[in-house]
Amino acid sequence: MKTETAASDHHADHAAAIAERDLQRQERFEDELIMHLERDQFVAETSRPVPRVALSKVATAALWGLRVFVVIVSVMVIYTFIDQLH
Amino acid sequence: MTATTDAPTPPVLAPPPLTGEDTARSSDRSRVHSARLGGRRWSLMWLLVGPGILAMLGENDGPSMIAYAAVGAQYGLGFFVPFIPVLFAMAYVCQEMCMRVGAVTHRGYGQLVLQRFGASWGWFAAADLTLTNLVTLVAEFVAIRVGLAYFHLGSAVAVALGLVLVVFTFSGGRYWRWERIVLGMALFNGLFLVAAILVKPHVGAIAGALDFSPFPGGSFNTLLLLLASTIGATVTPWMIFFQQGASADKGMTPRDVNHGRWDTAVGAVLAAIFGVAALVAGAALLTHNGSGIQGFAGAGFPAALKHVAGNAAGTAFALGLVEAGAVAILTISASTAYAAAECVGVAHSFNSSPREATVFYAANFGIALIAAAVILIPGAPLLSIALNANVLATVLLPVSLVFMVMLANDKGLMGRWANKRSTNVIGIAVIAFVGICGAAYGIDSFLQTTHIIGS
Repeated sequence: MKTETAASDHHADHAAAIAERDLQRQERFEDELIMHLERDQFVAETSRPVPRVALSKVATAALWGLRVFVVIVSVMVIYTFIDQLH
Repeated sequence: MTATTDAPTPPVLAPPPLTGEDTARSSDRSRVHSARLGGRRWSLMWLLVGPGILAMLGENDGPSMIAYAAVGAQYGLGFFVPFIPVLFAMAYVCQEMCMRVGAVTHRGYGQLVLQRFGASWGWFAAADLTLTNLVTLVAEFVAIRVGLAYFHLGSAVAVALGLVLVVFTFSGGRYWRWERIVLGMALFNGLFLVAAILVKPHVGAIAGALDFSPFPGGSFNTLLLLLASTIGATVTPWMIFFQQGASADKGMTPRDVNHGRWDTAVGAVLAAIFGVAALVAGAALLTHNGSGIQGFAGAGFPAALKHVAGNAAGTAFALGLVEAGAVAILTISASTAYAAAECVGVAHSFNSSPREATVFYAANFGIALIAAAVILIPGAPLLSIALNANVLATVLLPVSLVFMVMLANDKGLMGRWANKRSTNVIGIAVIAFVGICGAAYGIDSFLQTTHIIGS
């Protein structure tokens, strides 16, 4: 009986040692993987929004001007396209 | 971001939690690291090429190649032979900025515009992209249909081929796999070079055209249309979203910027050669009054080429069209997926599984599906859509380029990798040129259509 218990304990210890070794291997593997990524490449980091930049009034007005101009020209191109279909 | 990593990093910083996307990307990066440490230059180059070549050869898409061939058939060898390489040099300037911003910030274009300049600008950019991508994707399916029609295959086969390819390429859940499959397919863009050789062009005539002559004749509006559609065949909004998103997804870092430049330059050179080849092949039809151009919606162009230069030339051109359309469907759908998922703020990587990145994969497949459905509509104006796709892209491009230059100049994001003065001068000149050509065509066409001015 004693021998069986000792053998069972030995097996449990052995299994625990293997599990521990696997865990260490996994951790080492993950550490090595992490080493090959820059910190700011991690999804956790890139998911963080970058701070918004303050545009000057002139820059904002110029961007809106360009945007409105592009929309008007796009409407012209689409109008011409539809007209050419007839 | 570099701006934050430039500062000294505390030595005992706990690593962030590792996701499946990180693991996949890190595995790819470990091979780059190993090749760099081992001094294996060609292996390193092989590992780092991809986004640049794909953006450039992806832009040598169905409507672009037909536009080049149509120009050749209508005007012969002349102004456009050297003009196409000049446009790809312009494309290199824009795409190098995209690659650099992606490699330094590890973020996509849509994500940065939305976060840095505000949600409205981000959504405007995504809306522009979706509109031009949808129109262009319809044109890609048309190109595949034209190519397949040469082999007596119909629209249903074109639709099935396009959609099966989209699903097949992202089935592996890895960016690397997606990139290599599409890269392998993209090299078949060289079929246009085969077609050009088979038409036995006069080499002296090609060399003689390098002085930008003869200048194309015809009306002012036709010239503007040719300029706008040729520009739209080389630089477009989807390329900006795609190359920046793909560079970040690939895991490129500032150390890889030089390789990224080579990748982009090789892509630009190959795309220019194959683009000129399509024009040269088309020029074989010049002496036959450009026959075949009007048969665009059928098997017209390859069939006309077969009539003039033999079955092999027609077959090479038809297969080239299938390849050009198929690769563009994959890259353009991917750019839509990057833009949609970045703007929504969810996972946007081929390294994520479809379950982790539902929006990304749904947008990728969804836009291809909608475009495919359009070409199955009986009587849909496919010819007009295909011919106007490039022009619309040219008109909408300046806004995307302005934000690209602003991002590449943002010292807070880019640190020492920000644009140099010379890059800014060239970049602004490109924006002005593209903007003027697109606007001039749009306004002139509109005034003629509404009979405010005579044609």
